[in-house]
Amino acid sequence: MSSMATARYAALVEEHFDRPHNAGHFEPGSDVIQAKSGEVERGVVFQLSARVGQGRVEAARFEAYGCPHCIAAASWLTDRLQGMRAEDLERWNWREAAQALEVPTEKHGRLLALEDAVRGLAEALRKKD
Amino acid sequence: MTQQIYLDYAATTPVDPRVAECMIECLKPSGAHGNPSSAGHEYGRRARQLVEKARAQVAAAIRAPTNSIVWTSGATESDNLAIFGVMRFHADRGRHVVSSRVEHKAVIDPLKQLEREGFEVTWLKPDRHGVVHPDQVAQALRSDTQLVSLMHVNNETGVICDVASIGRICRERNVLFHVDAAQSVGKVAIDVEAMCIDLMSVTAHKAYGPKGIGALYVRRTPAVGLRPIVFGGGQESGIRSGTLATHQIAGMGAAFQLAEAGREADVTRLRAMRDRLWAGIEPLGGVELNGHPEQRVANLLNVTFHDVEGESLQFALRGLAVSAGAACSSASEEASYVLRALGRSDQLAQSSLRLSIGRFTTDAEIDAAIEMIRHQVPRLRGIARA
Repeated sequence: MSSMATARYAALVEEHFDRPHNAGHFEPGSDVIQAKSGEVERGVVFQLSARVGQGRVEAARFEAYGCPHCIAAASWLTDRLQGMRAEDLERWNWREAAQALEVPTEKHGRLLALEDAVRGLAEALRKKD
Repeated sequence: MTQQIYLDYAATTPVDPRVAECMIECLKPSGAHGNPSSAGHEYGRRARQLVEKARAQVAAAIRAPTNSIVWTSGATESDNLAIFGVMRFHADRGRHVVSSRVEHKAVIDPLKQLEREGFEVTWLKPDRHGVVHPDQVAQALRSDTQLVSLMHVNNETGVICDVASIGRICRERNVLFHVDAAQSVGKVAIDVEAMCIDLMSVTAHKAYGPKGIGALYVRRTPAVGLRPIVFGGGQESGIRSGTLATHQIAGMGAAFQLAEAGREADVTRLRAMRDRLWAGIEPLGGVELNGHPEQRVANLLNVTFHDVEGESLQFALRGLAVSAGAACSSASEEASYVLRALGRSDQLAQSSLRLSIGRFTTDAEIDAAIEMIRHQVPRLRGIARA
């Protein structure tokens, strides 16, 4: 067995993990899009949902199964999705979250799953347009 | 962060203040700084007296003759001495050992080293409750088997092995039986002679004694052939050279005496506390006990929490000092090999916690732990609903 609390997290991670922003989801509707990525077996699942209007994200929600960095990254991201158009979502890069939350290198692969979910949102938003 | 609640007694225990007092007395200038091997003067004889008193205390705790206790640095060294000592001594008679997949690394790694040296090991697989059955051992024995090495109480699940039945099988088949009992003292009654145990590893720090001191019980009659792994001054009848650490030894003796004297009362109190902890956690749903529901020690719960990622579980419960089924930020191969041997997936092994309580755990701490778990687990499940 390993001793707990050996990992160290940036203050921003701790803040988003303890008090996540925008946790949950929007119920399906004509103005709601969603995207999912990852697998439990691989230790990470992200589901993003957004209420959209006039080609932009009006508000975003997340559900996440994963490590504290993953939960914090999804929480941090949903604060930033508001106002984004499909092209903004397509441009979004996981490195932004990695840098802001000081995510260790060995976990960067998990953030790629978050980027996949954002790309999924972009695709869903384009279909709405 | 506020003070964590210590629920990791299976990893190590705090030194009992009565034990610390005994050790401090040894360390004072008026104590026992002489070398216990210096029989020619009063300082040495005083230290020897304390060492022999402790030897008798440790022997009494496991119902062994006093002269069968060999001091070591801890259970790891005791395991190494037992395994290498027996197998190398008897190598010309046979090179086969029987053990299990859920042993402590202090047994597994020496056995893997023996495999590299050309010995053969049969690794028994426990049932889904983590129990290694006597008939499995009987079936694994061969004409060239020299040693069976199994732990008494599993350090991760708390499952108790029926060492008495296995000991009888080994004795009938003329095979030596080593038991790692690091987790047993003060929790389970031990009688090495009645249990037909030939070698037994014990350590002080799991029983409210100091770290860095342990012992190996080595049956004297008939003698167990044992080749030393440490050479030097010939202390401990040449089985384990090195100047004896009087204060550590005195501490271990005191700790074992206290542990055995208070065992029944401790077990009753800890079982009630552990059951209350489980009763507080179980209603959450999606929780599973790892290990046998009955055949286990009173102070330990190993619990799998479904639908919660392991590292987040650990971080959310950082107010509790406990051990987890995997290292933080772990890759799958780091999931507990013990839980995987019980059939848990890597994911479930990582979402498991070992909660172990002890002599100084309070009801208030149990209440606080329950409250923390009942708050954090549903919170994480809520975040992960997708």
